Amino acid sequence: MERVVITGLGAISALGIGADHNFAQALAGVSGIDYLNLSFTRQIPGCVAAQIRYPLPDLVKKSELSLFDRFSLMGWIAAHEAVQQSGINQESGQLDQSGVFWGTGMGGATTLENGYIDLFIEGKNRLRPLSIIASMNNSPAGQIALRCGFGGTVNTYSSACVSSAQAIGEAYRHIRHGYANRILAGGSEALLTFGIVTAWEAMKVLATADPSRPAEASQPFAANRSGLVLGEAAAAVMLESLSSAQARGATILAELVGYGASNDATHMSNPNPAGQARAMDMAIAGSGLTPTQIDYINAHGAGTAAGDATETESIKRVFGAHAQRLMVSSTKSMHGHTLGAAAALEFVLTVQALRNKAVPPTAFLRQPDPACDLDYVPLHGRRDQQIRAAMSNSFAFGGSNVALIVKDFV
Amino acid sequence: MTTFQTVAKLLAERIEIDVDQIHPETDLATLGADSLTVMELIFDLEDEFKISLGDERPTLVVVQDIVDHIDRYIKIAAEQPPQ
Repeated sequence: MERVVITGLGAISALGIGADHNFAQALAGVSGIDYLNLSFTRQIPGCVAAQIRYPLPDLVKKSELSLFDRFSLMGWIAAHEAVQQSGINQESGQLDQSGVFWGTGMGGATTLENGYIDLFIEGKNRLRPLSIIASMNNSPAGQIALRCGFGGTVNTYSSACVSSAQAIGEAYRHIRHGYANRILAGGSEALLTFGIVTAWEAMKVLATADPSRPAEASQPFAANRSGLVLGEAAAAVMLESLSSAQARGATILAELVGYGASNDATHMSNPNPAGQARAMDMAIAGSGLTPTQIDYINAHGAGTAAGDATETESIKRVFGAHAQRLMVSSTKSMHGHTLGAAAALEFVLTVQALRNKAVPPTAFLRQPDPACDLDYVPLHGRRDQQIRAAMSNSFAFGGSNVALIVKDFV
Repeated sequence: MTTFQTVAKLLAERIEIDVDQIHPETDLATLGADSLTVMELIFDLEDEFKISLGDERPTLVVVQDIVDHIDRYIKIAAEQPPQ
């Protein structure tokens, strides 16, 4: 079976533009969270979010913008960066063996919601002609394939907060088994709209902010955590068979060696340690590594009461005594929970941690919950660490769990 | 402003070219205005002229085809009593 390597990274989030910049910000413990500012006549008072507050880079012609929802535009920005870094272009050949696997939770919600405003509030009787193309969940995958000329398999995964983890993991399997030589994998999500955020609020899982420190509202593993902070982001990785990467002399950033996927099959929203452990066990078993060779876990760590304690328990089940030696951090403390993009963004940060031998912190973690008793790398990032392999965890409503493992390419 | 001038102005904005490049007999495909672009343009023109083109799907090849199409509906709208 083919080995699968990473030759490009891309990211855009509230922490900024670019995979390197996002990692530098995360390592420094910078928060992208502040009060939510909606481009709508109504606001949601007190709600904080990891919102992209700067204009998006101008990568698409104005004449083509009608085809793009915000999540597609962000997706193309991240994908473009990853492809550029990989050096793959239209002259690279094998484009029919190149694909796109993308994840998103709710796709083009902004376009749909704007359409509803036109229809139901403004009383209009028609919508923009490209509303469907812009809002459909596979719009970013289609745009990326079109712009890169990738004529192989192009799939979209929608499994809430593991969407992009499944996209990366299934791409890994696809390449491993020889169905494709290269896959641009990742995910994007832009759900900071009045309607969607109001629906999240109704679920009573969003964090409440201390008015003196809104940037610190996302507090995974903390005793006083109050929930998750929604964010928007896109992130991408260029995955390639080792033979493809070596044949074109590509710079190999890391090797993807493990993918585990499971479902709790116990509840739609309550997490389950056995289900989470199954995903981690599967990833480790496939990786050829022992659990003790994994030095860092980028946790799902969303900041909910049940979620953080359950993940702590599942990590202990899988890693045993090694759990106490592992570094486990939740970068959601800084870039928020970016839902369908979360796994891809955190995977990009995990790859960067591996490469830089530096671990971003669980920012603002002053007082851990007694039920959360691992080394969560509180407050400050750590440089010069031994990181032989690293895992990225993602768990979702609907019960889906995914673990991905990367290691140095040797 | 004539219908042509309005069509040319909105088309030029949409595809980001100089309005002077657009003439009545200019081929839409040559300008880079594909079927999706033309659909969006028609949508903008409906707003601009406060008309509704309904479900008709005419063949639009050159810029003048759009102008003729719009003019026909402006005439229909003018003939209808105000609602």
